[in-house]
Amino acid sequence: MDDGYDWLVSYLILRPLFLSIGDLLMSRLEEERKPFHIKILDRIRASKLLKIIVLLAPASIFLAIFFFSPFIIALMYSFNMFKQVVYTYVFVPRISLEYYIRLLDFPGIFVTMQRSFYYAIVTVILTLLLSYPAAYYIGFKLDPKYKSTAVLLFIIPFWVNFLLRTYSMKFVLHDEGLVNTLLMTLGLIKEPIRFLGTDLAVIIVMAYDYMFLMFLPLYGVLEKLDKELLEAAATLGASPYKTFLKVTLPLSSPGIIAGSLLVFIPAVGEFIIPMLVGGVNTTTLGTLIYSFFITVRGEAGWGIGSAAGLIYIIFIMVLSYLYIKLVGAEVQFG
Amino acid sequence: MSKSDVILKIYTILLLGIIYVPIGVLIVFSFNNSRNRAVFTGFTLENYYRLLADERVWSSFYNSIWVAIVVTIASVFFAILLSYAVTRYDFKGKDILDMLLLIPIIIPEIVEALTLLLFFIIIGIPLSPWTIIIGHIAFDISFAYLVIKARMAGYDPQYEEAARTLGADELKTFFRVTLPILLPGIIAASLIAFVESYDDFIKSYFTRPGGFSTLPVHIWSMASRRGVTVDLNALATIVVIIAIFFAYIRIKMERWM
Repeated sequence: MDDGYDWLVSYLILRPLFLSIGDLLMSRLEEERKPFHIKILDRIRASKLLKIIVLLAPASIFLAIFFFSPFIIALMYSFNMFKQVVYTYVFVPRISLEYYIRLLDFPGIFVTMQRSFYYAIVTVILTLLLSYPAAYYIGFKLDPKYKSTAVLLFIIPFWVNFLLRTYSMKFVLHDEGLVNTLLMTLGLIKEPIRFLGTDLAVIIVMAYDYMFLMFLPLYGVLEKLDKELLEAAATLGASPYKTFLKVTLPLSSPGIIAGSLLVFIPAVGEFIIPMLVGGVNTTTLGTLIYSFFITVRGEAGWGIGSAAGLIYIIFIMVLSYLYIKLVGAEVQFG
Repeated sequence: MSKSDVILKIYTILLLGIIYVPIGVLIVFSFNNSRNRAVFTGFTLENYYRLLADERVWSSFYNSIWVAIVVTIASVFFAILLSYAVTRYDFKGKDILDMLLLIPIIIPEIVEALTLLLFFIIIGIPLSPWTIIIGHIAFDISFAYLVIKARMAGYDPQYEEAARTLGADELKTFFRVTLPILLPGIIAASLIAFVESYDDFIKSYFTRPGGFSTLPVHIWSMASRRGVTVDLNALATIVVIIAIFFAYIRIKMERWM
């Protein structure tokens, strides 16, 4: 009798085991039946690391190939690691400083660098002097009701295409342009002042084109300025002049630093403005790099151009890094 | 109001006026009926008729639009993925990634454009409209990322958690909850990305194939001639009106966000 039911007993005991094996087999089968892309999605869902990789990969790969590797190519090129063979370029394992030396030997390189810095520094000072009073008035004195409208009025011209803004200044500064016509009608000058092609034109146009980059951060700090602090200074007997020098100015220094760097960085390598309103004597770092690549061309032109471009970029990166350290990472982009 | 306040007020109004003068003069002279650059002699629409009959203007305008649309779609897509990863997950090197994504905005465009051109030449990729698009996407990812990340970091992740608790998986939560909340940010980012690409001159100029021009490249070819040409004024006026229209939408968007 016992023998007859033996299989049942063992079945009942082992049943869970059988079932789980069955489940496993079934799920395996189902898994097999799932289309390939669903399987991959399941995998990705299960792993956090895979998720992050899938999210980051497209942009990272794109930027690695089309943004960062061109700089590596330029770096290699500047060390003379490519050789032209008919119409293609082959990698040659060598390092030579030839292009850097030729860059430093280039006639007028130091004058050009000096000029670029001169333009940028004068532009920074000019934009600061021009926009500080307005930023102070709009941010601190103006009725809060009108603040956003005033800021908007200030920014709208700067939303117009950069080329057109620059061209419009060329139109104004021309020999027969508005400025000369006005001055001659008023009888202040007899001959038109020759602006185009001079340093003055480049600086005026740079100040005009970049003023909003100075205005916005200045407005940002001045708008948050605490009125009570100024009143306290006045109560303690400080003259308005002294209050401004000792309280307002130091408190607005983050805005001044931010604005100065935001203007300095594009101004020091400006390329379009000297090309449009400048002349032979207004070569800047930007136009110099351009002329190496486009006018000199060939292996030497590209090599020297890459060397100049890389030095310029490293300089900008150091400045930007200092900026982030000084002012904090909250960079405002208009 | 003290005396110094009055002076400040007058100065501010003057400055606000002066910054409109160059563009205003440009617009006024686009209606001038003679080629005289100094005196306004009479009203005409002649310059506009001539401009609208110019086929190069139309083709460069068309090129600018389709390039900007492709660039916008691609860079906003990349930016959504990036900002989702950065705001929702913790991983090593997040801060470095954040810094790296600022670089395309900081670097002077002239160097960026020329090294990209050098890259295309060395690798042997022939210049085409797609090389322009690639160049634009490279900096537009950063702009779109900044906007979308700000929006994504700004709202409460509880909405997503609630959806998850109610049984939606992550993909479904993303499409049904995250994306609709992000929509204003995505539209703002698209607008900025579109304008940055549509307005770009330097990268388009250096990475374009011969004979292909976008609107800014065409403007450059007119503006860089010796002296000034009245022909450009009509085009400039139209472009300025479009720019102000975009600015208006952008402000509306900011209010909406």
